[in-house]
Amino acid sequence: MSEEKKDHKKEDFEPKIVGFLCNWCSYAGADLAGTSRIQYPPNVRIIRVMCSGSVDSMYILRALLEGADGVFVGGCHPGDCHYIDGNYKARRRMVLLENILGTLGLEKERVWLRWISASEGQKFADTMKEMTEAVRKLGPSPIAKHWNL
Amino acid sequence: MTHKVIKVKDNDVVGSTNDFLRNLLSSGKIQALLVPQNTPSKKVAFPVLISDPKKFHADIVAPILPASTATIVSKMTKVQPPSKPIGVVMRSCQIRALIELVKLNQASLTNIVIIGVDCPGTFPINTYTEFPEKKTPTQFLLEAWTKKSDEAEKYFRSACRVCKDPIPTNADIILGFYGADIEKEIIVEAHSEVGKNILKELPLEDEEEWKSREKAVKELREEKAKKRAVFLKEKEGLKGIDKVSEFFDKCVNCHNCRQACPICYCKECLFDSSVFDAEAYKFLRRAEIKGLFKMPNDALLFQLGRMNHMILSCVECGLCEQACPNNIPLMDVFIPAAENAQKEFDYQPGKDIKEKIPMIVYREDEFLEVGEK
Ligand code: SF4
Ligand code: SF4
Ligand code: SF4
Ligand code: FES
Repeated sequence: MSEEKKDHKKEDFEPKIVGFLCNWCSYAGADLAGTSRIQYPPNVRIIRVMCSGSVDSMYILRALLEGADGVFVGGCHPGDCHYIDGNYKARRRMVLLENILGTLGLEKERVWLRWISASEGQKFADTMKEMTEAVRKLGPSPIAKHWNL
Repeated sequence: MTHKVIKVKDNDVVGSTNDFLRNLLSSGKIQALLVPQNTPSKKVAFPVLISDPKKFHADIVAPILPASTATIVSKMTKVQPPSKPIGVVMRSCQIRALIELVKLNQASLTNIVIIGVDCPGTFPINTYTEFPEKKTPTQFLLEAWTKKSDEAEKYFRSACRVCKDPIPTNADIILGFYGADIEKEIIVEAHSEVGKNILKELPLEDEEEWKSREKAVKELREEKAKKRAVFLKEKEGLKGIDKVSEFFDKCVNCHNCRQACPICYCKECLFDSSVFDAEAYKFLRRAEIKGLFKMPNDALLFQLGRMNHMILSCVECGLCEQACPNNIPLMDVFIPAAENAQKEFDYQPGKDIKEKIPMIVYREDEFLEVGEK
């Protein structure tokens, strides 16, 4: 494929992003973005979870293997987790997941963890824009359409 | 550290170590021993729990690891540890696994006396039972060893070839072959108070210090490190979804690898749970997204998910690979993954029983770039 064609394809492409959002912060942040009518790309499919610490890597992997171009995990800022330290543990788990994906060359850039509080509707919208553009640039995930998994 | 020596009689290494262990058992210092012994058919050696010194015909050299000894110790100690000491003869990878299981609250070291044995390597079960040479695997291995030849290398399991450390750590007593002239002697070291007290009362000759051992161990570790580096380099190419999916092509998602793994202790594994049951329409929707997908599904999800659950504690024993019915060389991905992940968290499984496993602890001031940007 020529560079030109590839770029063309990337621009056309609408990334599918799965977002696991903590009920107490990022989910409320997304809600606030909505009620405040802040515009953000419709590419993210939101799944509400009780804490970023409850997102087993398996769920992130499952989303990636089943067709997502990117996976987002949103948690409370460090120190603010409703369950005290779920987000610190989520952070370690994310480091491990990225490390494993790195070893196997499975595009760890497609997985994001960010801290977004309930009052940060604007930050949520900005982050979604940022991520959608970043994943668009990466292009369609080669895993998403792979069927021999 | 106490240094002693077992004198080898008539060039009979196995017989002489057995005399030592039989004496240990008869001494009353321990009430039973967990030790590899040949089954009646002599085709294979399994750990046996033995309390009668008269029935004792162990073979601690037998180059085979049919199942995880750490898992066996976990089974014997998890509900209630023994009230009097039991000696458990273990290879270094299994001691490492046992330490991890203790950290995971799946085993207890109360009244467990770890007798570590230097490990030259083990053969896959089927190589052992259908050994093509004219000698028994044990004879063959001992001869290769005395000749300092690498004839046995080709039979070793891949995990053993690039073993991180064949010398036991965290043992109470070590039976050492490296640095000894095994036609004449075997090294015995006590590495704990428990070990010292036991050795004190056995009829063994003292040895000043094993200078030859220090040197041999150092050389062995260097040699293994080199082989490991070459192995890691070779496997670097295994990257990207096409290669990874091809690597697991033959995986039937049977979970035998997980069953054999000492670290995967979960009573109900997430990947066997009802999380994976779904209505037909969900399967169909998945088919629609990709156009098609391979069944049985979720094999790669299982591999990657399992890796995320346990790789920091992976002791690279290779039992997963040995258990795979379809001969998938799992160590080709598990060793590089373990190497990189354990480096990231500066964690060495099996090294320090007081160190917590990385996934249950955290520091507030670490990995600050993750989550921010
Ligand atoms: S993953 Fe394989 S090599 Fe690692 S501890 Fe488990 S069985 Fe041993
Ligand atoms: S794969 Fe995960 S859930 Fe399954 S046994 Fe291993 S650690 Fe437990
Ligand atoms: S034992 Fe082999 S075939 Fe079975 S799940 Fe593990 S890798 Fe797949
Ligand atoms: S409750 Fe929000 S990250 Fe734990």
